[in-house]
Formats: sequence, structure tokens, C-alpha cells
Amino acid sequence: MNNKNKLLNWLALAGAYFRLNLRAHMEYRGAFISQALAMAVNDFVWIVFWTLFFTRFPVLKGWDVKDVLTIWGLAATGFGLAATFCGNARVLASLVVQGQLDAWMLYPRRLLPHLVLGKMSASAWGDVVFGYAVYIFFVRPDAAHVLLFVLLSLSAALVFVGFFILAGSLSFFVGNAEVLAEQWTMILVTFSTYPETLFDGAVKLLLYTLIPAGFVSYLPVAALHHMSLPYTLCTVGGALLVLAAGITAFYVGLGRYESGSLIEMRG
Amino acid sequence: MKQMNELRKYLWIARISARSNLSYVGDLVGRIVFLATVLFIFLKLWQTTFGQTGATHLGGLTLTQMLWYLTITEAILMSAPKVAQLVDEDVRTGALAMQLVRPMSYGWYRLASALGERYVRFTVNLLASALVTFLLVGPLPAAAGGLVLLAVALPLAFLLDFLGNFWVGLAAFWLEDTSGLLLIYSRGVLIIGGAFIPIDLYPPAVQPLLRWLPFANITSGPAHVFVDPNGGDLLALLVRQLAGAVVLGALVLLTYRAALRRVFVNGG
Repeated sequence: MNNKNKLLNWLALAGAYFRLNLRAHMEYRGAFISQALAMAVNDFVWIVFWTLFFTRFPVLKGWDVKDVLTIWGLAATGFGLAATFCGNARVLASLVVQGQLDAWMLYPRRLLPHLVLGKMSASAWGDVVFGYAVYIFFVRPDAAHVLLFVLLSLSAALVFVGFFILAGSLSFFVGNAEVLAEQWTMILVTFSTYPETLFDGAVKLLLYTLIPAGFVSYLPVAALHHMSLPYTLCTVGGALLVLAAGITAFYVGLGRYESGSLIEMRG
Repeated sequence: MKQMNELRKYLWIARISARSNLSYVGDLVGRIVFLATVLFIFLKLWQTTFGQTGATHLGGLTLTQMLWYLTITEAILMSAPKVAQLVDEDVRTGALAMQLVRPMSYGWYRLASALGERYVRFTVNLLASALVTFLLVGPLPAAAGGLVLLAVALPLAFLLDFLGNFWVGLAAFWLEDTSGLLLIYSRGVLIIGGAFIPIDLYPPAVQPLLRWLPFANITSGPAHVFVDPNGGDLLALLVRQLAGAVVLGALVLLTYRAALRRVFVNGG
């Protein structure tokens, strides 16, 4: 199968899982809507925080409120899209520890796509809606900026999927890494939502390596500011690198996986 | 004598809860690392803000006081036990019915367990974050006096937060899912509770309202009497906390009674 067919094949699988997961959520429509709404409200509360902050202190080392709203939009849509389409990536550490990969291994394709696509987070929908809404309604960009924002949000989603897999794969190597993976992810999210200009030196290096917030929001903001192709390419390149690191860590770690001999019913 | 026995029972539950929390080392280390990261980001944010404005005081606090203020609010926030989730789970799984037949009140049992857990988590958070803050900005003047006032303000702050969480958990009797409600409540504590920006930096028109809401009396109030110890402020805080506890307590009691009417126990 050539690369184009492989990609189409993968997208078809993602589409099938998306429909299936969404239908499952619709069985509990009330819970689904309330979770998504609550997440959007949660994100909005942060906008209130930053608006209050910038009302009092209008410029922060060259960043204004619109720049911060943009990184919030990027981080929220990136995280939201990743958790909506690849919800299991977010809980990979616990799936490995509990020996729950067995069932996924029986499917007639490579393990990782099935596994990560197998679950959808309801609350993540709130992040996606919030992220796009905050950029369109608060930053008020033109059509070209909106298009680039959509592309960059997809790139941010790739960073998050890769990072979730990378952090979750720690469980293959260090035993129970649930807390470690969760905290590492929260640190990435936290750094992704603060202006880059606050950090310098070694911390900045960390933000493009171990905590790749630079590819989630800092480079994309620069790309949107200057409508710059080089910044956009660096953003997408960085996202692909993080994804590749996650996939590599997963398949290397899989060699150390031990079955949980778990018996469970699956619908 | 009977009351003493009752009290001893709940103190024992608090002790067990505290001890079991000390055994989760991974959770503890993870929390400390995250706390240190957040404090570092706050330091950078406020250092930049103080530097740009050229002010020595913002919201009545120096940079050192500001970071110590955030140390306390973060230590309080990150010590919160999962009360709402546990109540929600007890309602959904039917475990609540089992708790009801035990010779103790379900509410008091949850309170004792939550306080035991909270004090351990808070103490660990405080020690770790105080070390980080000390390394970042140095000591806080008048810290000893502030620590005494903080110790006085904390019990009612923890009680208020427990009541808020318990109330959210009880919503499981009526809602399919309470996680959304919990998220909104916790963000209330975070933002309008002044955990990230002292209430004094909010628009003057909303400050009195924010001070009287329970959120600020959980985080901002105790942190403020720690960094700027003052007997009058402590007294005002205790009055607001007590008023909040009475109102929230009444709401919880009414909701709990209404909820119990929806409990059906089947034998088997």
C-alpha cells in the first residue's frame, strides 16, 4: 500500500471510530452536553482572569490580551481535538499498567491507531468549541488568519497526541507512571497558556524539547502575527517530531509489555 | 460521654484518612513538581509585571509578599480532597445505602475523612512550596505571626470547601453527571476566589461582593492574613467564613434531606 492509500485508510478508520464514539456519547446526551459546556465555561474563566490582568496591566513584555487569547485558543483546540479523536492516548499510562492492551492487540491492524482512537472525551468538545470561538469572536481575525489558525490548531493537536503517547508510554519503562504522565501533561498545558516572553535561558530550551509548549502555542502565535511560512513550517515540523517520538517510545516500550490476563466484557 | 465517643469515632476516621494519604509517594512527588512549576511561572509573571510597572506594591503586596500569597493559595487549592467525586460515586454505585446503615452520620464521616486527608496534603504542599518560594524570593517578613493567623483561618476555610464540594456531589441524585458542576465550582475558587490575583487587584466595584462569597474565604482570605498579619483582618475573615459556613451548611442539609427521600434500598 502506498503512502497516500495508507493515509486515506487511516483517516477512514479515524472517521469510523469518531462516528462510533460520538453515537455512544449521544446515548447519555445530558452528561455529554453538560461536560462539554462545563469545560467551555472552565476555559472561559481563564479568559476572565487574563482580561482582568490586562485591564490592570495592558502590555506584558510586548504581549497584549489578544496574543494571550490566541495561545489559549491554540492550546484549547489542540488539546481538545487530540482528546476528542484520540481519547485513549490521554489514559495510556493506566491502560498499560492495568494490562488492558490485550484486547486491542487482537485487531487486524497496527495496535496504536486502534488503541488511541478507541475513546472520545466528552469534555474535550468544550475545549474545541471554546478555542475556535475565542479566536474568532475575541481576536476578530480576517479569513486568512482563521485558515492559518485552523491549520495550526491541527498541528497543536498532533503535538498533544504525540505527547500523550510519549508520557503514557513511560508506564512500559518505570511501572505505574499514571501520576507522572498526568503531571507532565499538566505542565505542558500550563506552559502553553502563558506568554513565551516570560521565560528565557534554559527554560526556553525545555519549552522546545521536554515540554514542547513552543510547538503548541509560541511558534504558532509568531506564525499568525507575521503570517509567516517559515514559522508555520517549523510549527508543523516540531509537531511531527513530537508525534514521531511518541510513536517510537510506544513501540519500543511495547516489547516490555506484560499481559494483565484481564477478562472483561466489551460492547 | 456519648458525645466524646462520637467525636473519638470521627477523629479516628480522620487519622486513618491522613495515614493512608501519606503512603501515596508517587502522587505526592507529582503534586510537588507541579506546584513548583506553577510557582515558578507565577514568579516570572509577577516579576515581569512589577518590573514593567515600576511599582513596589501591587494590590498592597510587595513581590515577595505576592509570591508567598500565591504559595498559600496554591497549597490550599492543591490539597483539596475528592469529596464531590466520592459522594457522586457513593450515590451512583449505591454505596451510600451501605453507609447509611452504619452507626455514624454519612456527612460527618465524609467531613472527618476529608479533613484528615486535607491537613496532610496541605502540610506537605506548604513545606514543599515554601522551600521553592524561599529559594525564589527569600523569606517573608513576619512569617511566624502570619503562620499563627493562617492556622486559625484554615479550619473554617477547609469546612467551607468541604460543604461546597459535598453539595456538588449530592447533585448526583438529580444529574446524570456532576463533573461539569464540579469543574465550574473549582474554577470559581480559582479565579473569583482570588487564588491567582489578589482580590485587591479586581475592579473596586466587585471587591466587596467577592470578599463575601465563600470562594475568597477558602483561598484568598487565609493567604492574605498570612502575608500581611493583622488581627482585625483575621476577625473580619472569620466572621465571613462563619456566615458562609452557616448558609452553605443549611443548603447542604436541605439538599441532603431531599436526596435521602430518593434513596430506595432493596434487600438481597
